[in-house]
Amino acid sequence: MSATAATAVRRSATGLALLWLLAPLLPVVLWAVSSRWSGRARLPQELGLDGWTAALEAGLAPALVRSVLLGLAVAAVATPLGAWAGRLLGWRIARRPRLLAVALVLPVLLPPLAVAMGLDVVVLRIGVPGPLAVLAVLTVLALPYTAFTAAAGFARVGPGPEEQARTLGANPRQARWLVTWPALRRSLAVAGLLAFLVGWSDYVVTLLLGGGQLVTLPLLLGASASGTGNEPTTAALAVVAASPGLLLLVVAALVLRAARADATGRSGRMAR
Amino acid sequence: MTLGTQEGRQPRAVADLLPVVPIAVVAGGGMAAVVATSWGLMPLYGEPTPGADGWRQVATDLGPAVRETLVLSVGATVLALVVGLGIALVLLAGSPLVRAASLAVLAVPHLVGATSVLLWLGDGGWGARLTGAGPATWPELVAGPWPVATVLALAWKESAFVALVVLAAVAPGHRERMETAATLGARPLQRWTRVLVPSAAPALAATGLVVLVYSIGSYEVVWLLGRTTPEPLSVLSFRLFGSIELLDRPAAAAAAVTGSALALGLTLVAVAAGARVGRSLGAPS
Repeated sequence: MSATAATAVRRSATGLALLWLLAPLLPVVLWAVSSRWSGRARLPQELGLDGWTAALEAGLAPALVRSVLLGLAVAAVATPLGAWAGRLLGWRIARRPRLLAVALVLPVLLPPLAVAMGLDVVVLRIGVPGPLAVLAVLTVLALPYTAFTAAAGFARVGPGPEEQARTLGANPRQARWLVTWPALRRSLAVAGLLAFLVGWSDYVVTLLLGGGQLVTLPLLLGASASGTGNEPTTAALAVVAASPGLLLLVVAALVLRAARADATGRSGRMAR
Repeated sequence: MTLGTQEGRQPRAVADLLPVVPIAVVAGGGMAAVVATSWGLMPLYGEPTPGADGWRQVATDLGPAVRETLVLSVGATVLALVVGLGIALVLLAGSPLVRAASLAVLAVPHLVGATSVLLWLGDGGWGARLTGAGPATWPELVAGPWPVATVLALAWKESAFVALVVLAAVAPGHRERMETAATLGARPLQRWTRVLVPSAAPALAATGLVVLVYSIGSYEVVWLLGRTTPEPLSVLSFRLFGSIELLDRPAAAAAAVTGSALALGLTLVAVAAGARVGRSLGAPS
């Protein structure tokens, strides 16, 4: 294959990949800014924010707050737990590594609907508040992601720096907090982001165990999407539901780029 | 607080239990309770009435529900693997835009993906508007006889997951392996089939299993885009669970247990098959 043909193939493949990944989101964007798009018209006939007004009237703002709080709560519990498991796995110091790995894979394999359905009776009988039950289930669902992300981080950093700090006189707590955790900052940020997204995206566990008290953004979106004739409202809700994930991703990319630039600058100064 | 010893890094055995306990209590407890509910041992009110009434009630629906679930989950898995491998190849060639788009798709909730597909392929969706098709001529892609929209919605998001995992598995040393193969006389197609595909195979198998299991247990995508008769297992289970008739709860639990057994059973078969393939290739046991 000539170089020109290879370039054409590569460009076509890149275009197709972008089309597959981004085209599905186009109608959401279009409908979110249309106030009139009737019948067979190929494009919106009138642009406007009617869908956003309707979404706000449907309870977008409180649902958004609840979703953010739920995502943050899941991240706050699942990240330290995942870091704990990640240290045991990443540094290969677990007494029963196979048991730990199997336990961590289990939440990925079991349908969340079945787990939540089983817990519903237990929760109602012993009087656990719905939101707390939702948090418990989502934390467990997020644990595999936080644990394996942290494990990769621990494996990358290794126990060496912590041991060197101990040799230089640091106590175990100092060595961990001043040496290991800073080195794991990126991995733990990614783990926290993944846990947040598990809480943020959940639909069925919140619907089943929330007991109607916890109306999050996905629940509002699901109710709107299953109706007819309210596409602009549905699209507005979908845009908001998609945005924190995308926003966090941009922030994470900027933070990582800044950290990389910082590290490059530091190594450059050391070389001089 | 530390559960580690003072002298070394080896923690006490109890340290292993800290992450295991919440999983055992929540996931294990939830599964035990749903199994007990399906056999009448855990009613919402009143005394337990052990028996197979729930299973009998749902028995006629289980076969079609399992078939529907397998059709959509296998379809979504195969499509996600094929497209995901294709995207991984584009990523291997180096495309930051495709990489950013893949990460973005991964961060979008499944329900948003399902909503988008609905707005594309539904009766009054953008697809029908762009092609000028009327309600009678637009194919039943949503809630039709074949779960086209469901498969596309699941495969769209999962293909990004497959691509990024395959990329992470294949990227280290990829260029060197391909150059070595080329130096040894391998043609482009041979480099793909003999070098690239075998190095991507373990990641493809692992992600394929994750996608399959996720699709079997998925609810919101299937509920929004799938047909109502026959229902997939998750939709059947949730409908019965929400019924005003409390006696439907054991039947709902039976459908949920069937979905879980399907997911776990397929996982065990896949792991056993993977181990056998590994042994036949001489991997250490």
